[in-house]
Amino acid sequence: MTPATRTLTRCWIALLLLAAASTLVIGLSPPWLSLAVLTLAGAKDWLILTRYLGLSAAPRMARGFGVVLALFLICAAALALAA
Amino acid sequence: MTARQEALPGDLKMWVLILSELAVFGAGLLAFLALRLGDPAGFAEAQSHLHRLGAGVNTMVLVTSGWLAAVAVEAARAGQRWHLRAGLGLAVLLGAVFLTLKIQEYAALWAQGISFESHAFYLFHMLLTGFHAAHVLAGMVLLALVAGLATPRAVEAGAAFWHMVDLVWVLLFPVVYLL
Repeated sequence: MTPATRTLTRCWIALLLLAAASTLVIGLSPPWLSLAVLTLAGAKDWLILTRYLGLSAAPRMARGFGVVLALFLICAAALALAA
Repeated sequence: MTARQEALPGDLKMWVLILSELAVFGAGLLAFLALRLGDPAGFAEAQSHLHRLGAGVNTMVLVTSGWLAAVAVEAARAGQRWHLRAGLGLAVLLGAVFLTLKIQEYAALWAQGISFESHAFYLFHMLLTGFHAAHVLAGMVLLALVAGLATPRAVEAGAAFWHMVDLVWVLLFPVVYLL
């Protein structure tokens, strides 16, 4: 296994754990549930962007994507908490 | 390489496509959440008819297929044609598993007498997940095509599209199924 493949495999395992965590937190009460599932979704998307799509090799671009992702998640959390 | 010279990895056109698709789905998901403000109880009741565990399993299926596509890109760069085709073939297979679970979900809702006309929740659910499923199908065709071409550039572009499908589902799953 090459170092690049090892990194991808570690990313995949982290994604599986985060996906499992997303399904397990549905027992939380509403405000915490919204924050937990959206934080986990953000972590998963960040891993896909930086590792699967290779944005870790372009840190400035990665930061740009990270800001847009964070803005989306903040809007989604605000709308979810307001409901 | 300086910061000014920093370039996006892969094909710029594919990144434009990824950004535009993320913008479309992002707007759809925020519209869904905004609409929910008008009827939170109705949305919660409608959501209770969805199979959350099945959707969670589908998340694992998609991230695993994404990993296989990413590994196939590494194999393409190393000139390992058999490995790249095996990786992409398995990724396509998992795409088919995802669609099968999705069809079962629609069939279960249909069996309960639920359609997109039953509630605004189902209209958005079916529009967002149906549009996403269409992208999964398109991604499967694209991965099959680039597996045939087997060049690093083609495999990178096909895998990037597949990762975009992953990115969208990872946001769609919590918003539609969990919140």
